[in-house]
Amino acid sequence: MLARAAADFYWMGRYLERTEQTARLLEYQLERLVDTPAEEVALGWRVLYSTFGHPAPPLPTDADEAEVFLIADAYTLAGTFVEDDTNSNSMISCWSQARENAKQLRPWLPVRVWTCLNQGFMWIRDCDFSRAWSEGPAALALEAIDRLRLLAGVVDAMMARDDAWRFLELGRFVERLQHQTVLLDTWARLGQPAQGARLSWSDLLRVSRAYELYRRRRSILVRRESALAFLVRNPEVPRSLRFAVHRIERLLSGIDPKGARYPLAAPHRMAIRLAATVEMDLGGDDSDPEGEDGSFPDLLRDARKLHDLVMATYVNYPVERGLPA
Amino acid sequence: MTASSFGSSGDGFGDAPRACSAGSGAFADYEVEARFYDELFRPDGTVREACRRLVASLSSATPEELSTLQEGVARRFIHEGITFTVLGATKMSEHIIPIDCVPRVLTAAEWDHIDRGLRQRLTAMNLFLRDIYNEGRSLRDGIVPADLVLGCPQYRVEMRGVKVPHDVYVAVCGTDIVRTNEGFAVLEDNLRVPSGVSYMLACRAAIKRAFPRLYRAQGVREISRYPESLYATLASLGPWGGDPRVAVLTPGHYNSAYYEHAFLAGEMGAELVEGRDLVVHDAVVYVRTASGLKRIDVIYRRVDDDFLDPVVFREDSLLGVPGLFNAYRTGNVVIANAPGTGVADDKALYSYVPRIIRYFLDEDPILANVETHLCRESDGLAYTLANLENLVVKEVGGSGGYGMLVGPHSTASEREAYADRLRADPTNFISQPVLDLSRAGCFVDGRLEPRHVDVRPFVLRGRDDIRIAPGGLCRVALRKGGLVVNSSQGGGCKDLWILRDQHPRDAPEM
Repeated sequence: MLARAAADFYWMGRYLERTEQTARLLEYQLERLVDTPAEEVALGWRVLYSTFGHPAPPLPTDADEAEVFLIADAYTLAGTFVEDDTNSNSMISCWSQARENAKQLRPWLPVRVWTCLNQGFMWIRDCDFSRAWSEGPAALALEAIDRLRLLAGVVDAMMARDDAWRFLELGRFVERLQHQTVLLDTWARLGQPAQGARLSWSDLLRVSRAYELYRRRRSILVRRESALAFLVRNPEVPRSLRFAVHRIERLLSGIDPKGARYPLAAPHRMAIRLAATVEMDLGGDDSDPEGEDGSFPDLLRDARKLHDLVMATYVNYPVERGLPA
Repeated sequence: MTASSFGSSGDGFGDAPRACSAGSGAFADYEVEARFYDELFRPDGTVREACRRLVASLSSATPEELSTLQEGVARRFIHEGITFTVLGATKMSEHIIPIDCVPRVLTAAEWDHIDRGLRQRLTAMNLFLRDIYNEGRSLRDGIVPADLVLGCPQYRVEMRGVKVPHDVYVAVCGTDIVRTNEGFAVLEDNLRVPSGVSYMLACRAAIKRAFPRLYRAQGVREISRYPESLYATLASLGPWGGDPRVAVLTPGHYNSAYYEHAFLAGEMGAELVEGRDLVVHDAVVYVRTASGLKRIDVIYRRVDDDFLDPVVFREDSLLGVPGLFNAYRTGNVVIANAPGTGVADDKALYSYVPRIIRYFLDEDPILANVETHLCRESDGLAYTLANLENLVVKEVGGSGGYGMLVGPHSTASEREAYADRLRADPTNFISQPVLDLSRAGCFVDGRLEPRHVDVRPFVLRGRDDIRIAPGGLCRVALRKGGLVVNSSQGGGCKDLWILRDQHPRDAPEM
């Protein structure tokens, strides 16, 4: 696998995952516009903006201002994450970046994968946001998610399980690990009762597509520590940190398994360390009501380091190190 | 007949063709002018024999059905992202290449003539290139003026005496052929990095799906194995047995033909590399893979000579690979086409090709040249200046339809400005008469109308043989009356059907 192509697959995976994350958070937030108190809606925007590293919009100071804020600004706040191509985390930007990566990968990409991705891009590019807004904005986010799920299905059905697929998946799960870590951290910080308006822990599970499983496995009554532990350590939840880090570890073990870097390349070692952190140290548990969610920034630092190691090991390595023996 | 049945189970496909003519049915607005060879109809308006089934099936369709068909074909191009990039004044833009749903048809006999002419031409050009970079016999014997060759910017002194694998300088050639009432003629040879073959294959895939029964009934020769032939051709040039590692070298995704580079690499199972992906170490070329450096044996380069290697050619090139030319000279890598082939497709040298064929092969040219006036010669310059409004004037190193003057379509001030350029640098120009290019039926603005066309067949020269895909990129000037077929200048493409002689599947196909 060409090193540059490996990087493009990796980034394509990251951008597609980021598009879905944006769409999921938007869907959650836009659904809430219908019946949620204005102060909580405002807090929801803070979560969305903070998760993607943007300056959070200010909270309204009283109830009247909150209503104005709700009506007047929601369109603009949502638009920033749908159609604003200057925002690198908007759906249009992420989809466009994924398509640019895919353009460079056409020799390696099954035609149907490209067609599906391209059609998705053309849909979001040609989308009339103001019209979608008047017809029900959450539907737009839902359709984006459906299109991304379709693409994921086509990838799953069409791509061989070779290094191209591994780097694509690696990008997806590194992005997921980083994003979910930030989301949990943001929710844990902004969800403190001292903040006034409260964030719902069941909503965190819903955004993470884990609510139904939690209800079955644990309880319909959602406790903060239990929800965090569930989203950190449960191996069955695709958006848990543990799920992501295990997939990363498995994918890395498949890349160049018996090459020069055998037995363990640096990214692989880091992935194992992350797995140990997630399984043993992080997120508290049901018996520890205080939790250990102060560890999220450390985990995020290591997840970012994992990204750097992937690039340094497989893409930007020094020529002398790459020469055949 | 419904739109959905059109092209798949229509009553005309594969059955006895009905009598049709220009000016009736779907061809009600179709005008045949005797001045232009019409690919569908004879001058009296009756249908040419080879096109009877096609015309019959088109005649039986309503304009709505044809629109649906055209939209379906175009949609396929859009969804698959079959694009080219246009360099504008300030930015690049990505465009879908326009495709016309009506195929052009050539008989087996017509194609046989073209096929033989192309083989002859490419054989002679390879011998000529070998000669001018070694003994220079043809220059000493005055077949081609030495100053024309040695003064050409595309003549690469670095290639003097270089041992080119199997003397194949041009492995991939695209020759533009036009038809007039006098027959077929070569408009120009593209011996550097000819493009368009991916559009040829994409057109075929789309049109085959649009006219499945007609396609089968017509007995059209296959072109789908072109990528295999290209790979086999490139592989045959290496000194190694087995399957060498082949890479397609692209300038990158901003290049106008990037879609094609990616397409060919994908279809051949080759690496698609940019200069930054390659490393030369001890005169061996390696590609950076995710698991270390791997040796590259053959490079199908889609990068101009100037940018191949900053050590040897343009030192400001960011697209090339330092040390690549040295690896080539040493014989550690094959580059196709070889550096320096551009000297043979210079538009001034074009007029000497018939002499080159006679000199090296002792044969008369099978395919005619278009009458060409060299402005580097005083007579040619005087004639050109005196007849600007009737001529097409081109820069000798130009391509893509850029920088040319089409006399009859120009204004007086444009001609005046062009004349100044001619006088200032006459060696840089040639002129040709405005050709009455043949016209083929196209579906434009909801009806069938004739438009001017040419065709670019693709010829492959390997170690032991020449292979020609029985087809080509048929380019069409979609603007009414327009003569420029380049996609960057408003041109489109259509499928070209070469009919089998008699029995289907009677010969292995490319």
